[in-house]
Amino acid sequence: MSYQSATGPIGAEGRYWDALQEGRLELPRCTGCGQWHWPAVWRCGACGGWDHEWVEQPIEGEVFTYTRTHHPFGGTEAFAKPFSTLVVTLKAVPIRLVGVLEGDETGLKIGAPVTGAIARTAFGDAQIPALRWSLA
Amino acid sequence: MSINLSGLTAAAGVGYRQYKRGTAPLPERGVLVRAIVEACEDAGFDPADVDGFVSYGDDKNEPVRLMPDLGTKAINWSAQVWGGGGGGIAGAFGIAASAILTGQARAVVVFRALVQGNSGRLSAAVMAHHLNDHMVASGILAPAQVCAMRAQRMFEYHGVPYELCEELVRASYYHGSRNPEAVAYGKAFDHDEYRASRIIAEPFHLFDCSRENDGAGAILLVSTEMARDLKKKPVKLLSVAQGTEAGYGDLLENDATELYPTAGFRAIRDRLYGTAGLTPADIDVVQLYENFSAQGIASLIDHGFCTYENVAEVVRYENLIAPSGKLPVNTSGGNLAHGFVHGFVTAVEAVRCLRGESPNPVPGARTCLLAGGPGAPTISSAIFGVD
Ligand SMILES: [Zn+2]
Repeated sequence: MSYQSATGPIGAEGRYWDALQEGRLELPRCTGCGQWHWPAVWRCGACGGWDHEWVEQPIEGEVFTYTRTHHPFGGTEAFAKPFSTLVVTLKAVPIRLVGVLEGDETGLKIGAPVTGAIARTAFGDAQIPALRWSLA
Repeated sequence: MSINLSGLTAAAGVGYRQYKRGTAPLPERGVLVRAIVEACEDAGFDPADVDGFVSYGDDKNEPVRLMPDLGTKAINWSAQVWGGGGGGIAGAFGIAASAILTGQARAVVVFRALVQGNSGRLSAAVMAHHLNDHMVASGILAPAQVCAMRAQRMFEYHGVPYELCEELVRASYYHGSRNPEAVAYGKAFDHDEYRASRIIAEPFHLFDCSRENDGAGAILLVSTEMARDLKKKPVKLLSVAQGTEAGYGDLLENDATELYPTAGFRAIRDRLYGTAGLTPADIDVVQLYENFSAQGIASLIDHGFCTYENVAEVVRYENLIAPSGKLPVNTSGGNLAHGFVHGFVTAVEAVRCLRGESPNPVPGARTCLLAGGPGAPTISSAIFGVD
């Protein structure tokens, strides 16, 4: 694992950050029972297995929920206000991922299809790899 | 071996100090000592004889440091509920009761103190408990934003009308406007001002958000037997439950789909009512921790007072105000309109309203539900009652 966290200790998701930095979305699946885990785990609570495989995924899904932030909360300087943060249910696997919406916001609603790209969010001195969503 | 704790312990004294944020006349520990002594005086109990201390929400006042001011002879019990938010407020009474009922302590103070100069902004402290690179990279830095996303799901997907937030806020302000201790004292609720207040994170306007105060609160819990010999009418702890369930919590917004928009109380609801042998219909008044208006509504749904389908029949201004409403909520103004010292005012008012000391009395009220901090990963609630 090479990724250095900007906020605090990283759990079992080191591989996620390394892959994201290299331009890929990878998510973990238990090799014992096939369950997808997010947040990532060391031990599968379903079958007790310790082994996971990280599988590359397409960055697309639909809006599960969202908020449009107007208040200039400290730490959100990277985004012009207001900006929308989406929780997106991925199309291919039963996992939700969070990211900021880019581009035209017309049609933003729960259930709207989105596609994603990997960008960087400036946070203090850090450049955190991050998802950016666009309404499809 | 297990015992049902229902009715075996009681709140015997209440102390509460509240100031506008940044204006406390003393540093945090000084304000806290005042509140604890006030609670003891209220009960007619010597502060030196308090032998247990419990808090929640990452309180920074280690009880041992209170000993010189209180004259404490011995600490036999000190503990704190896990979690950075207000989810632990009611659970703190459970910890205190457990100590008393197992003979490990005799008189336990449940407290929370928060003065900005000492502990910083509460919102920042709560968030520091949860922040990670996933969230900050998505511009999520404050509890308001996380709660907003959950509220959006409750409104847009589950069809709860957003307008109900105003009903709850208006009821809180009505009660607060009649409470000399409240930030909203003497202020009339203004519909236009509410609607025009600036947007924080959609769907929340400023008036949907509890705004922090400096202050401290303390409640003295003892056995009901001991409480009968003290000054005030014992307010018995009829039930308390804390916890969470699989599929809810700090899960990077991957909570189970049905649990995501809730306030988290489905995990404890049956235990809470079961211990007391009560149902939602038996509750006379509710002190509702509302960090944000929508989470207050979600909490009422979780606690079984209404459903997604009939929530508009229950969360109505007229229904929520004392003494005429069927479900009086936050009779002192709550976090929104009384004041926000990490929710402690809801516990204080739970005791006061059952003693008949509320600024907005609920005649004949015998049971009060204290709904703890909603939306926290680990939550808790309690039921208090009088004979
Ligand atoms: Zn497994």
